[in-house]
Amino acid sequence: MTRSFLNFPLVVAALGLASPVGAQDVQPGAPAATVIAIPPLTTPDSGSKGNEMLAVAWQATQLIEADLRQTSEVMVLKPNQKDYYSYPEVTAPTFSKWRAAGAKALVTGFVQARADGRFTVGCYVYDVDKGRELARKGVVVAGGDIRRAAHKCSGLAYTAITGAPGMFDTRIAYVAESGTGDATVKRIALMDSDGFNHSYVTMGDTLVLTPRLAPHAERIAFVSYAGGTPHVALLDLGSKQQTPLVPVQVTSFAPRFSPDGGRIVFSMMQGQNCDIYVVGAGGGAARRLTTSPGIDTDASFSPDGSKIVFESDRGGSQQLYVMNADGSDQRRISFGFGGHAAPAWSPDGEWIAFTLRGPNGRRIGIMKPDGSGEKLLTNGPNDDGPSWAASSRELAFQRPDRTGRPGIFRVTLDDSQPRQMTIPQAGSDPDWSGVMD
Amino acid sequence: MRKIFFLLAAAALATGAPAQRRLPVIVPLGRPAPAPALVGIDALRADFAAQSGGTTVYFASDSSGLVPAARAVLAAQAAWLRRHPEIVVRIEGSGEHGDTRDHALAVGAKRAEEVRLHLILMGVPAAQLSAMSWGKERPGAGRAVTILVR
Repeated sequence: MTRSFLNFPLVVAALGLASPVGAQDVQPGAPAATVIAIPPLTTPDSGSKGNEMLAVAWQATQLIEADLRQTSEVMVLKPNQKDYYSYPEVTAPTFSKWRAAGAKALVTGFVQARADGRFTVGCYVYDVDKGRELARKGVVVAGGDIRRAAHKCSGLAYTAITGAPGMFDTRIAYVAESGTGDATVKRIALMDSDGFNHSYVTMGDTLVLTPRLAPHAERIAFVSYAGGTPHVALLDLGSKQQTPLVPVQVTSFAPRFSPDGGRIVFSMMQGQNCDIYVVGAGGGAARRLTTSPGIDTDASFSPDGSKIVFESDRGGSQQLYVMNADGSDQRRISFGFGGHAAPAWSPDGEWIAFTLRGPNGRRIGIMKPDGSGEKLLTNGPNDDGPSWAASSRELAFQRPDRTGRPGIFRVTLDDSQPRQMTIPQAGSDPDWSGVMD
Repeated sequence: MRKIFFLLAAAALATGAPAQRRLPVIVPLGRPAPAPALVGIDALRADFAAQSGGTTVYFASDSSGLVPAARAVLAAQAAWLRRHPEIVVRIEGSGEHGDTRDHALAVGAKRAEEVRLHLILMGVPAAQLSAMSWGKERPGAGRAVTILVR
């Protein structure tokens, strides 16, 4: 896929699509970081307005740097204010200077004041060796939204370099926890993936679990104990309206949206049997997809919506199975020692992440959708609930931190150490959204 | 009167008085207050726990099958519930804390349902029974607890 793109670089550049620089080197287990230079963004404005815009441009530059620094595929040369360039140089950078500095990729851009008080932010990504533009993007934002504009630039650069969508303009839902034991209070919380715009979306008066964002984070499906029985509820983040997905007297849980947002798969108890069902995201009658005795749960759609991976203990221990989205052709894909649970299909379709239940506790791993290439990413012993970043190169998961408090960590596929994400209190059950529009 | 003595004692403690200082001798007046009598649901809960050998049954890891000890407890619970047809109970099942969240939720639901079905088998009317799962959300893994709700 990426190689065929390389054969048609001009077409790709014209379409503004990804033309990966060295993407063929970036494979799990073989990290190869691309060095990128981000000299401070400039402005076409002059006078006091120009000074004001330069300050905003410097802020944007630092935000782009911070975004790209989080990734393992890109190595950022620290922006330096003495590398200032003029507005015409945005589209005609001095490649020899950056070649000498060792950069393989370059980001230039500008911030321009508009008559309506908003800003135009333009971003350009270049292949330094070839002296060629890879991608460009312009966005218009209100003053307070310079962060989002910077995220768009970061995503543009990341995609141009890796061929994968960036996860900078995404949101993360999780369960915020306070108190311990019987007095634990759990609330659904939502934040931008860089930790900004943190808010609580449930009050804490009812136990809640496992938030799952709709593809563009406009709705959240989660498990609520309102009324005493755990059941799947849907919350519209715009109207704040909450509705049960199915009748609340029946135990239902483990919801996940289809990639197009039109369907929701979930688990429902019937007597002692736990099966997987699918229902339109607008409601209606649920259709049963599995019938085996035992516990079938944690269903996750493939990115094209045609298949579903789930866990079942029908064979004696928790293992992963793949079926068609109508429930036909159920095949086991995980074998070997230990139980495989909580699967999640990557947005690019290449991997299925899971929680391994083995003698050393719970660890996060990945395998191909046919069950090959199994690889563990974390050492446990209390890791759970992997959720993919939009890039398909990173996962969020939960793990108790050093003090034993539940925390949210992220780990890349390239053997690096998991890093704890900063949240205001203890947290669990992370769910990472796709890229915002 | 007694109140004043307590206040004096408290004041002495609060000022950190040395032990050799003379303290008023506290003499309890009258008979000691009786333990608060259990009334209503609390009394019934205590009686239920005492007579049925416990409110809780335990399961083997990842299993919802009843072990013999659990059957004995449930037989006693059933006998008590048959004598109290006005009582409604909720059976709360829990999974293992080492389990994944959703599987634990299902295991807890299966355990609670197993207990509910067994109590029905032992002659308790279904209308007296309800079941739910805590998954791994509450302390006390691997068990099902029968709780009187009214």
